[in-house]
This record gives sequence, C-alpha cells and structure tokens, in this order.
Amino acid sequence: MWAKTITGNFANVIYGLNANHLTDQVIQRSKRMILDTLGVGLLGTSTEVCHKVTQYSKIYSSDISSTIWGHLDFRLPPLYAAFVNGVAVHSMDFDDTWHPATHPSGAVLPAVIALAEAFPQKKKISGLDLLLAFNVGIEVQGRLLHFSNEARNIPKRFHPPTVVGTMGSAAACAKLLALDQLKCKNALAIAASYAGAPLANAATQTKPLHVGNAAKHGLEAACLASQGLQGNKQILDMESGIGAFYTDYNPQTLPTLQSYPWLLGQQDVAIKRFPAHLGTHWVADAASSVRRKLVESSDNLLPLDKIEKVTLKVPEVKYVNRPSPTSEHEARHSFQFVACSALLDGTMSVQSFTSKNIHRPALQELLYKTQLEHPSDNTPSFESLYCEVSVTLRDNTTISDRCNTFYGHWRKPLKKEDLEKKFQSNASTVLPAEATEGIIETVYNLEKVEDCSVLSRFLSGQSAREPSQKLCFL
Amino acid sequence: MWLETVTSSFASFIHAVQPEHLSKTVRDRSKRMILDSIGVGLVGSTTHVFDIALQYCRLYSSVAVSSVYGKPGVKLSPTLAAFTNGVATHSMDFDDTWHPATHPSGAVLPALLAASQMLPPSTKPNGMDFLLAFNVGLEVQGRLMHFSTEAHNIPKRFHPPSVVGTLGSAAATAKLLALSTAQCAHALGIAASLAGAPMANAATQAKPLHIGNATRLGFEAALLAARGMEANPLILDDIPGCSGFSAFYSVYQPKPLSTPSDHHEFLLEKQDIAFKRFPAHLGMHWVVDAALSVRNLFINYAGSFSPSLIRTIVLKIPVSKYINRPFPSSEHQARHSFQFNACTALLDGEVGLSSFTESSIHRQELRELLDKVVVEHPEDNVANFDKMYGEVALLLHSGDVLTGKCDTFYGHWRKPLSKESLLKKFRSNASHVLQEEKIETIITMVDNLENLSDSSQLACSL
Repeated sequence: MWAKTITGNFANVIYGLNANHLTDQVIQRSKRMILDTLGVGLLGTSTEVCHKVTQYSKIYSSDISSTIWGHLDFRLPPLYAAFVNGVAVHSMDFDDTWHPATHPSGAVLPAVIALAEAFPQKKKISGLDLLLAFNVGIEVQGRLLHFSNEARNIPKRFHPPTVVGTMGSAAACAKLLALDQLKCKNALAIAASYAGAPLANAATQTKPLHVGNAAKHGLEAACLASQGLQGNKQILDMESGIGAFYTDYNPQTLPTLQSYPWLLGQQDVAIKRFPAHLGTHWVADAASSVRRKLVESSDNLLPLDKIEKVTLKVPEVKYVNRPSPTSEHEARHSFQFVACSALLDGTMSVQSFTSKNIHRPALQELLYKTQLEHPSDNTPSFESLYCEVSVTLRDNTTISDRCNTFYGHWRKPLKKEDLEKKFQSNASTVLPAEATEGIIETVYNLEKVEDCSVLSRFLSGQSAREPSQKLCFL
Repeated sequence: MWLETVTSSFASFIHAVQPEHLSKTVRDRSKRMILDSIGVGLVGSTTHVFDIALQYCRLYSSVAVSSVYGKPGVKLSPTLAAFTNGVATHSMDFDDTWHPATHPSGAVLPALLAASQMLPPSTKPNGMDFLLAFNVGLEVQGRLMHFSTEAHNIPKRFHPPSVVGTLGSAAATAKLLALSTAQCAHALGIAASLAGAPMANAATQAKPLHIGNATRLGFEAALLAARGMEANPLILDDIPGCSGFSAFYSVYQPKPLSTPSDHHEFLLEKQDIAFKRFPAHLGMHWVVDAALSVRNLFINYAGSFSPSLIRTIVLKIPVSKYINRPFPSSEHQARHSFQFNACTALLDGEVGLSSFTESSIHRQELRELLDKVVVEHPEDNVANFDKMYGEVALLLHSGDVLTGKCDTFYGHWRKPLSKESLLKKFRSNASHVLQEEKIETIITMVDNLENLSDSSQLACSL
C-alpha cells in the first residue's frame, strides 16, 4: 500500500515487516545487542537510581504484571516494569551506542519483554516475534536519526534516546501488538508527545530515567493507540511534529519491503567495555597504552611523582569535559577522570567508579595535572573522533599514544567470547549460574524459541527447572 | 550558602513562599480558575478521549485513592488520576488560557487534587495550603514563559502546557508535599526531562494528553524528588553547549526569582486569565464575537439570516497554521478552525457544546457557508493573545458590505467574565455529570477555600 505521507509510510513498513525480512547479519547483531542489554540491565538493578525508581513504581501494582530483571520477590505492571528495567539498563551508562548517536536497545528491549509477558488475551509470543519487534524498534530509531544532520554529532540539546528512543519503543510495541497501519501511525503520533528530554540531565542521576521513560512512554503510546486514541497522522512529516526536536529536519520515506535493507545490517552498534560515556572509551584505550609504555621504563610502577602534566586531545563535548567529577554520574561523563583512572590502574572496569576510587588522592593528584585540547580535526562524532593521551614527565620527555578505534567500537566489534564474558560478569551479580546460562542459550536461539516468556523467567532469577519451563525449540 | 543560580532561586521561592504572600486579587482570581477548571473537567469526563484514558489507567489502579472527575465510584492511583482528570480538563479545549500563552490550571489542579487525597489524615493540607500550592504552580509557569520572547506569541513548535505546565505541576506538588529546597530544585530538574510535546498533535485527539501528562509527570517528578532522585541543579540556567530547559526555546534568557518577601508580586496580580465561553481554541473567541456582531447587522439589513444573499465571507485573522482550517472533519479540528467557528456563529447565532457534534460539523448549510470563506492576514493582526483581533466581513451579492470586528471578546482578561457568567458556565458544565446538590457544594467549597480545614474534601466531592 503506497502512503502519501512519511508517517503513513512508516506505519506501512512497521505493519508489513515480517520475520522473512530479517537477514542473518541483522539477526546476529541484534541478538548480541539483546544479550549485552540484558547483562547491563541486570547489573544495573543494584544501583541507587534503580532502587529509587523501584520504590516509586511499587506504588502502582495491579493484576497484570511483568518481570523486574533480577527480582523474584515482586513484579510490576508492564508500564512500570519497562520503566524500571529501562532505568537499570542505562543506570551506569554501560549500554550500547549507535551511529548516528543514541542508545538504541535500552529504549526498546525492556518494553517489548514486559509487553510480551502481559499480552492481552494471554497470547504466547515467540522468540521470533520478539526479535522482529525489537528490530523494528531499532530500525525506526535509526531512520529517524537520519532525518537530521544535527543527529550525526554528539548531541547538545535533546538527549537522543528520549526523542528517537520513545518512537522506537512505540513502533516495537505496535509491532508486537500487531496493530494495523492506522494504529501504527497513531502510536507514533502519540509517542511524539512524550518525546524529548534536555541534555542537561546527562551526568546526573536522572539520566537513566531518559531510557526508562522512553521505553515506558513508547509502550504507553502503543497501548493507547491500540485502544483507539488518535493523534496527528503526519507526525513525522511536519516540522511541528517530530521536527520540533531538530533545527534541520528532512524526513524521507523508508525503502520498500522487498529485501528490506535494515540499518543494523549496514551499521553495527558499539558495545561498551566499561560503564561510562562512549567518548571515554577512546581515552581509556589510549591511556592504557601510554601507561604500558611508562611502566616498561620504570620497573612496572607508574612514576606518579615524575608526571608533570597529562594532555588529552579530544573533541569538544561540553558534557563530558569535567576536570574534577564528584559523583559516579559525573565520573562516567569525564574524559579527564577516565584518562587518569586508566593511567593509574591500566584498565577500566565497573569498580573504577566506586566512591572510594573516585575520591582517592592519587587520582585527584593526577586530575589536577590534566588538561584538554580540542584539535580542530577532532570532530564530535562517534564515527570519526579520536583521542590522544600525552604524559609529560619532569625531565621533559613525553610519552603519547593515540586511539582511533577502541575495542568494542563498530569498526572493531567485541568478539563473541568477550561479549559473553561481559554478560556473565554483569548478570552473575544478581542471577544464579543456571539463569545466566539459560539467558545466553535462549538469546542465541531466539528465533527458535516457541514462548519467549521463558526469557523472563530466567531474568527473574528462577533457577529450578520445572517441566513446564523447559526451553521449547520448534 | 550557595551561589544564587536561576534554578536555586526557583527552588527557594517554591520552598519559602507562604499564604501571607497571596494578595486578595491573586486569591480571588485563582479561585475563579479553580472553579472553572473543575467544571470544564467535569463536562470533559463525558468525552471519548477521556474514556480511552480512563480505561487505560484502570489497568494500574492498586493504590486507588484519588478521585476521577464525574465518576463517583471510581478511584485511581494518584498520578493516573491526575492524568485522567488532566485529559478531561483539556478534552474540549474549554479550559483557561493565560498570557504569555499556556493553559495553566489544567496542568496544576488535577495533580493537587490527587495529591491531597494521597496524604495521610494527620498531614492533610488545608484549603490555604492548597490555594498556595496552586498559585506556586501558576507562578512558576508564568515566570518560565517570561524567559523567552518566543513565548509571547501563539506557539509553533512545542505546546506550552507540555513545557511549562510540567514544571508548574512539579512545583505545585513539591509545595503541597512540603519538599525541601533541594528537593524542589530536583523536582524541577526531573520534570524538565519529562517536558515537551510538539504542536502537531494540537487539533487531534491526542492534544488533551498534553495537559494530562503535564500534570501527571510533574507530579511524578515531585514524587521521585521526594524519594531522593537528583537531577541537574542548573536545569533552568543557561548551560552553554548542553541544553537544560533552554532546549525548548530558540531564544532563552532566564532570570532569578526574588525570594518572597513582603512584596512578592505574583504574576496573576498583574495579568489575569481568559476564560472560554465555548469549547474551542482561544483564537476562535475573537472571530465568533465579530461574527455575532455582523450577524446582527445582517439580520437588521435583511430581516433574517439569509445565506443566499452572501457572496463572500472575509475573515481577517492572524497567521497561525494550526487554527487555519477551511474544512475541518473532526471535532478536534473544528475547535481549531477560525472558519468553522465564524460560520457556526453566523448560522446559529451562538457557539456552544453542541456546535461540535458530528452532525453539526457536517451539516450542509454549514458547508455551504464554509465554501464562501476567504481568509486574510492583515499585517497588524499579530498572532498574540494580547494583541490580536478578529474581523468578519460579509460581501453581499448586492454589493453591500457588512463588517463586524472584535478586539476583546467577553471572557478575555481585558473583559473578564462576571461572577454570574462564570457560575453559569460552571453549573452548565457540572450538570452533565453531577447532581445539583453536589454542584452547589463545590461552588461553596471553592469560594471559601482559604477556610477549608482539609483540602482533600474538595477532591472527594467531585
């Protein structure tokens, strides 16, 4: 069906895409994203921000309920499950990042999993249904990001997950609910009225709510559309629609469904190796490399008192330029902090951001000696930025290294073993081994899973295998 | 002792302002707003969009303590009650409008009503606390709108209630819940991340959600702040390279609020509100009054209203795309159409609730009139609720021209509704869903709000 508007075109594509359209490449990449997102979310359930939103969400409990990742002791209505799990995913800034820039999976996965569990008429949702809906959610986000040149660079005004993420969640949930074209359009229209949070809350405790709310509100929009609520059917076409969030906005129709060219097939995501803003990953790799050179020449000890200054050549990104962060949220958004941590410890990890480590004197001392430079060729885009770390010693010698592509970036993707290692390390903080292995197995075979609620059961930490919980492969 | 930032000045104000700071004018005006808002919400509970919202919210109704307009047997959890009642309030575009432009009451009142029922008996806020919190919500909205010259004109990009309304609700509920200064600041910060809906959904069924979500999400922000959630303490300030609240405006000049002293002047003191006489966008009210005026002239001229004598109807209106609709096809579009409202006024001699039913919208006689309409945008007709005017000219086949013009419609802040007119509107609205006794109880309660010992009684009486 040919649509006269871009909004109508999106609705047709959301409605018309089916499992046959998924390519192997896209299936493989999206399963990696799903696994990573689950691990990151499970780890995130232990954060303070997650505790707070959980406490808040417990006000609302009803008969219909969905799993809270990592918790067997209580459940929440799908809307709040999506919210809390979404917050968990982004709580440590450990989740995936795409190009153009957004955190695609966290806005979509918690919503579709929560919805699948609480499906109207108790219908069973298969792993393939879930995988397809997930990819629809990712695809819509990517396509929307291409409507604006502004989106290619690291953001300054609105935090992208809150703009495109909300739309992606609505699209994914609309797909899972099998809404018709008209209702898909309305889901997108309604979602737009929930979209958009300012960037200033990045590097604060509120930032994780951006992803939680994107998931939650997209789900709500799809549910309201399902009940017949209508919005502007040209929401993607108009400047006063989704265009309101951009200064330049040029919407385009999607490709035809025939051998549909998914964006994920052309552009992979970056998976983080430690929980901090993506920009800091270049810094970490360069700093670790400089440290290796430094300790080589001085008996494997970092010659702290011999360091005169540390210079970082980074792109100009104001919200990641923090000379002396005081909270974990600020530390995760600080080029300076990550550089000094990596210099001190050789590697970055979840532990790098504990209060103790943030405030240790050796680190503070090194931070004091650190400066940033913004070379004009260092553009603030995750596709092209680089980082150079230079340590100048008191004797005026300088040791430097430069990182163009960190390990985990889409140009140098994590190997399967390392992806799994990250997942296990994360998930095992809250789940028993049987559950973590169950999740890995389920995600790897997602297309063949008959009833994806088995995934939710593992996510809640159920380890006893009752006959009814056996994985069912088609 | 901290450096005074704009954000912290707002937080201090919200925290420190007291009932004594409310002048009589402000108290009177805000009580009128409360009454009108309740009435509009009550009639709004009969709409289809309200049904959808209510049905949806009933899925999650465990801690169901808060009342829903027009549904005595139904209770919802507080933020969802706020959502539903907010949707009701804006469902017909019948709620109040301020200058700079926003719909202030619908974004604040439902959250306060719901919150008042949520608090334990020992800490129930009294009527004065309630009235104060309401005014804090209005004041914050007004102050925020003054940060941008963009806000003075009819909006084009973000729907103001979804921007300032969300923060107004956060401020009002933070006040009612007696949050600390720091918590008030965080409530504003969290709310900013929940603000901002695009204009494109105006004139659709989704528009009422803008008010519903403003009041609900602002409330949610305050609840999260109460539980210790923290946001950017500079959210209202200018942060170069990383937008805070400024994200919603292209020009943004924030100014600190003075801490309330004996002379804090609420914006409502100097700038009153407009109340609508019929359920349509504020801009429609000018053309309707102009149309009624020329209709009278026409009847004197021709003896009766004879459309066949009319060759062309010329509307002189400001430029504003979302209210310029030659042939609206839904009630939502009709409420946002200069052409529709002018022609309805010409045809019927009045515009009311029934003007927007399906059959009214699609009647043949109306279509014929709409066909004759042309629109002009005189340069001096600015898209601004303080300065615009409406002019309707009938160009007759005979060559004669009859004109009606309206600079200030009855209900505008320059020509406020009388007490009788306001009560008439309230009674008419409320009677769609409530018995006479209850209606009079609400009127009396709001009139004596300062003396109410337990403000949750107001919500309970809905």
